[in-house]
Amino acid sequence: MTPVPEGPAESRLEQISRILIDDSSRVPVLLWFTSSVIWLLLGSAAAMISSIKLHHPDFLGGIEWLTFGRIRPVHLDIVFFGWSSMAAIGALLWLQARLCHVRLPWPLLLSGLAMVWNVGVVVGSVAVLAGHGSSIEYLEFPAYCAPFFAIPALGVLAANVKMYLTKNSEHTYVSQWYLLAATVWLPVLYVTAMLCTYFGLVQGVSQAITNWWFGHNALGLWVTPIAVATAYYLIPKVTGRPVHSYHLSLLGFWSLAIFYNWAGTHHLTGGPLPAWTITVGVVGSMMMFIPVITVAINHHMTMRGVFHMLKTSPTLRFTVFGSFMYTVASFQGSLEALRSHQEITHFTQYTIGHAHLGLYGFFSMIMFGAMYYIFPRVTNNEWSSARLIKVHFWGSAIGVLAYGIGLCWAGWWQGLMMNDPSIPFLQTVEYVKPYLILRSVSGAGMTIAHIAFAISVWRILSRHHFVMSGPTLFTTQRPAWKEFVNEQNQREEMAQ
Amino acid sequence: MFLISMIIWATALLGAVMTVWALTWAIKRGEFRNLRKGASSIFDAGEPIGRQTDFFPPVRKGVR
Repeated sequence: MTPVPEGPAESRLEQISRILIDDSSRVPVLLWFTSSVIWLLLGSAAAMISSIKLHHPDFLGGIEWLTFGRIRPVHLDIVFFGWSSMAAIGALLWLQARLCHVRLPWPLLLSGLAMVWNVGVVVGSVAVLAGHGSSIEYLEFPAYCAPFFAIPALGVLAANVKMYLTKNSEHTYVSQWYLLAATVWLPVLYVTAMLCTYFGLVQGVSQAITNWWFGHNALGLWVTPIAVATAYYLIPKVTGRPVHSYHLSLLGFWSLAIFYNWAGTHHLTGGPLPAWTITVGVVGSMMMFIPVITVAINHHMTMRGVFHMLKTSPTLRFTVFGSFMYTVASFQGSLEALRSHQEITHFTQYTIGHAHLGLYGFFSMIMFGAMYYIFPRVTNNEWSSARLIKVHFWGSAIGVLAYGIGLCWAGWWQGLMMNDPSIPFLQTVEYVKPYLILRSVSGAGMTIAHIAFAISVWRILSRHHFVMSGPTLFTTQRPAWKEFVNEQNQREEMAQ
Repeated sequence: MFLISMIIWATALLGAVMTVWALTWAIKRGEFRNLRKGASSIFDAGEPIGRQTDFFPPVRKGVR
């Protein structure tokens, strides 16, 4: 039996409190997380099929439900609703409980809501594959799927608010602002967009505006705040260094809250919209430099002098990579909103490259980092293999960089060629083809990384190579702590 | 249609009011005072400043 580590009673009580909080969140957090990992694998499979079809159009061409027009939206929706949102909710619940110093409320309800969400993704994906999807990006799932997401989103909001209202901590840490805001924004965005687009409230050009108001905000006001909140917790926590500038962190949150909502219409630059609506989107996008610069300064300066820790911490390696990609993808996104830039890159592979640098390079990498930190603490088990973690990291990192840089490069030249009337369109297609093959190869690298990650998750859940304490858990040597808790309880009972 | 329109406008208004209220509430509650202490609020005696809390798992015999 591991001995109780030496230390002041206050320190031991805080550790016990952390263990009890982690225990309370075990079932719901694991359900949200493991579901997200399964969806990540399925989303990767759909991505590979879609990608191969771009350079080999006959691939699986005889199967109606696997045609590009169906499998590509399924990839997008599985990745957004299945992987990203479920991973984000798992991280959110654990983080908020930790930051509020309270046990996670309603674990059974939150577990049930994870299952409801899963049913929504299954029903929606089958419907799109069967040809019942819409052409509205990010909202391809039919309207009858909406309750499967809206109700759990409201449940997560209620749990988040309850934790905050009953918190045992004096201060509201910057991550909590992001987490609270994200859970308020998601139901508003989703319900409003569904009501507008599916119940005939807006049509034509207005429907396109609503589509991109939702599409852009779903990324910027839902998954982005949760990833930024996670990085604001994990980077200081793992390195043992407070955030470089807490002033900037708060400025970053409030500027994101004020400006991000206006940026969505830049997706429609060149479309038949009133010019002012696009100008609003461009200005909103430029203003996003403020929150992005504040986050960039904070995350990178917090790491200054401790970059060597990237060698020893899997969590830090993924999270810092994700934070760096947040800066890159956000700067690129803001510049991409400019009309002069869009003249070249619109309708090219550039946009796809940018989207993956953002949602994968930034968001997904931070979620991987979060899972490497949270899984051992809620399962009371170690990761089984450092090698699998390294395969996961390098497969993901090299894969997304090759994907993003390759497609942005190809898209830029594709755009210039398309703008030149002397170049036949077919020549632009031939030019892009090698880059589409690169897209599939780098996608395969990311898929291998996901398989390595899924094996690690399977092993930690099935208690393969079970180890109760070690470097990942570090200070939380739980068997001894539980003994200590029992001892304390007995003392309290005797005293009474 | 009119009802849905009203619901959306009411939600937007509510959102705006809630944001202003949250900011005012946070200022009154002193959330923006003593920010250095706020930055350290995620540390405690068990996981203090200066201690790394995450590592790669160890290499064990027979485990790759």
